[in-house]
Amino acid sequence: MSVLKETAQHVLDIALKAGATDAVAEAVEISVKQVRFSNSQIDAINAWTENNVILFVAVGKRVMSSDLRELDNLDALTEQVVSLAKRAPPSKTYGGIASGKFKYAKPKIDKRILSLDDPSKPVLEAIAGAEEEGAVNVGGTLFVRHSAAGIASSGGALAADENASLDLSVRAFSQPEASGHTLSCTPHLSDLKPRETGLRAGQLASRAKNPVQGEQGKFDLVIEPMCLTELINTTSNMMSAMLVEIGSSMYAKKIGKPVASKHVTFVDDPTIESMSRQTFDHEGVPTRRNVVIKDGVLKTYLHSTSTAKRFKTKTTANAGPLIPTPFTMATQPTAFHPVVIPGDWKVDEMISDVRRGLYINNAWYTRYQNYSTGEFSTIPRDAILKIENGEIVGAAKNVRVSDNMLNLWKSIDALSKNVEEIYWWDEASPPSTVPTVRIRQMNVTRSS
Amino acid sequence: MIDEDIAEATLKSAESKGTFLLAEVRTEERNSRNLSVKSSQVNNISTFQDSGMNVRIVLRSGIGFASSNLVSKAEGARLVKQAFKLAKTASRKNPVALSQEPAVRTDWEVRQRRPLVDISTEEKLEYLNSLDSAVMKTKVKVQGRYYEVKDYEISGHFANSEGSRIRSFLPRLKVESFNLVSAKGQTAQSIRQWGASGGWEKKDDWDLVHALPQEMRMLKKQLEQGRMVKPGTYDLICGSEVAGIAAHESCGHPMEADRILGREMSQAGKSFVSPDMIGKQIGSRYATVMDDPTVPGTYGYYPYDQEGVKARPRYLYKEGLINEFLQNRETAARMGVQSNAASRSEFYLREPIVRMANTFVAPGDFEEDEIIGDVKNGVLMHSFTEWNIDDKRYNQKYVSREAYFIKDGELAGPAKKCTLEITTPGFWGAIDAVSKKVGFDSAECGKGDPMQGMAVCTGGPVLRLRSVMLK
Repeated sequence: MSVLKETAQHVLDIALKAGATDAVAEAVEISVKQVRFSNSQIDAINAWTENNVILFVAVGKRVMSSDLRELDNLDALTEQVVSLAKRAPPSKTYGGIASGKFKYAKPKIDKRILSLDDPSKPVLEAIAGAEEEGAVNVGGTLFVRHSAAGIASSGGALAADENASLDLSVRAFSQPEASGHTLSCTPHLSDLKPRETGLRAGQLASRAKNPVQGEQGKFDLVIEPMCLTELINTTSNMMSAMLVEIGSSMYAKKIGKPVASKHVTFVDDPTIESMSRQTFDHEGVPTRRNVVIKDGVLKTYLHSTSTAKRFKTKTTANAGPLIPTPFTMATQPTAFHPVVIPGDWKVDEMISDVRRGLYINNAWYTRYQNYSTGEFSTIPRDAILKIENGEIVGAAKNVRVSDNMLNLWKSIDALSKNVEEIYWWDEASPPSTVPTVRIRQMNVTRSS
Repeated sequence: MIDEDIAEATLKSAESKGTFLLAEVRTEERNSRNLSVKSSQVNNISTFQDSGMNVRIVLRSGIGFASSNLVSKAEGARLVKQAFKLAKTASRKNPVALSQEPAVRTDWEVRQRRPLVDISTEEKLEYLNSLDSAVMKTKVKVQGRYYEVKDYEISGHFANSEGSRIRSFLPRLKVESFNLVSAKGQTAQSIRQWGASGGWEKKDDWDLVHALPQEMRMLKKQLEQGRMVKPGTYDLICGSEVAGIAAHESCGHPMEADRILGREMSQAGKSFVSPDMIGKQIGSRYATVMDDPTVPGTYGYYPYDQEGVKARPRYLYKEGLINEFLQNRETAARMGVQSNAASRSEFYLREPIVRMANTFVAPGDFEEDEIIGDVKNGVLMHSFTEWNIDDKRYNQKYVSREAYFIKDGELAGPAKKCTLEITTPGFWGAIDAVSKKVGFDSAECGKGDPMQGMAVCTGGPVLRLRSVMLK
């Protein structure tokens, strides 16, 4: 048994002995190295390690969760959490934790990632690649991540997990207002392509040179995977049953109804090889591939055992962190690895069929007037290329997409054959595998 | 209780490893509690005890930062070794320099009349339930009802190789609400936050038992009686919430020196401001924006930053001119000035970077009545919902949550979805009147990689912008 699994089992045993009726203990070890670079040189290299146990306990309907970080004092801390739970006000909507005889996939990692001794080398290669294509200023990050977890629950969960990955982000400028942004995200060292990532960022930056003021009106948009993943950040969040419950989702009351064009199939799949491959959810249920939108029709929300009970369905193994994290609510079911199933288009073909449009590399700052209706705007950034009569004819700047998110997904009419794994900062997240897509007749605005 | 001997031993370990420009050791302990209520039912109760330390080694060749949630002399020594190695690996082309700052030896704490640690879960639950009951009693149809209270205390100890030793104690309280109001087949959302440094007594300042029901009634009225704004040119009165978000987004962020120098270029972005723009015109003479960490009781309060530099008010825009950037020791040295204590970190695992604290438009000398009274055809945007800004902080958008038409100096009914999409000089240049009274709102500002959510305030008086385009 792995050490973390043993730790989780030990904490579970203590919790049950102290009087918990349900408990989940997840022991986690995270080790990260980060190279930060800007102005074509390295600014700082940071490294951090975290060792903790996330503990959830219920005493009947009285629930309590905690993040235990004093590992040499786990027994006492666990007893204290159970004691607090006994005195806590009841949570009438608590629906229990998953139980059963669970079978888990065996995690495999690329151990060469752990021995990457000098993470500055790929960064310097990426900078050189971008400069080769005309970039004059290059910035970004390289993360080397390793995480391991062990989980044990009173419902029968007992498993270990491990993941290692690399994610390189390169933003290259050819002029002060002309940039390109590219990524290389992978669980395999051999698939990290620093030079190619730099070259492509440099190429995009060169194509974005001399941008002109963007125009307002209806435009067809061809958006790269990075831009699409920025939109998936909020879209996937609204698939969470808990967001539906509190009225913060455009998907409320839409199960079985069209929420995207028939070309769109949206899956949450933490079982595939990726940065966010995950063996079990935060209740210890083995993760699985969930088809959330099939041919444009909403099939399910993302559930934990508790939300599933309230919605009279079964968990989808998407139980999120049992403690609140920045910008998410505690107990919120969450997507782990969104996948948009690719189409059969080449990107050039997608562009050639556009009379008046924009090709968009990236976006950020997506905000909603109203999550329940989907009215939103987002800000394209990096290469924004003008398309006229099927050709790219120059670059634009200072535009905003101001539309409705349901309308956006319903207006997708082409998806590329090629997909990319994307993870950038907290914007294009969670890690997703998606194609380039074409969206017809989006409303584009700008400052007056 | 933080064992300060560990920090001393860790600094000694750093000194034994060789020469450096600076070595810092920061140790923290944090106790946090969280309670959320969804539709009158407990959703989650959490409690955390956390402690950790970090070591930052600054060499001319680079900066190495290593952190861990283990605190011991052995862990300190390990972090020193790791931070040295990382700093050497960086191999900067342009050597690192730091502004010279005086060493500080002090203790500071934020006092609490009702210490957060003494407040029972039952009392907090009673408080959140009282908010929910007050909302329910309005008879407004509120589909979504979610409330959360978070509170924590951070005990800190900062030591550096220049002789600074700072002990600190900072309690913070935060309440969040999410509500979705429906009327006439339409919905309107309200996502709010209130935060302060201090004890449980701080919630009394917010008077949410009255403020939240008022917000629900207001949203209902907006839905039932609101008329769309016909796109065109209007005089726009911005309430303090709108003035505050503009101060934060289109003054505070572009005036962060690390952004101006490009360090955030691949995440939060760069800035339309360049180092040579000090003294350049950005707005009218009424546009003065301050950032002040020293306002007592505010959510963004601190008297010393996380490089041990004494905090002071900063005038970012002053009477329409770009005046002073937010600086840490590294950016200050590059620009040939002193740090103005803008170095902050969310918690011990993260590197300190340049951040805002409490950013607000400075008050003027107009009465609010006077400001509205002098508008023939305009809109009052009291508060906002959707907002965003581009990564050079030049093009911003604010959509109203609460707005009213103004006709001949009088309010003339609710205005729905009033939208301002404007450039930064366009916003600050259009101001011709500023009221006397400043209001503050709390917020979590996101910046850094990994993202660091930072406690800040935004604020301002009522502003009048002449002849701006509304959509």
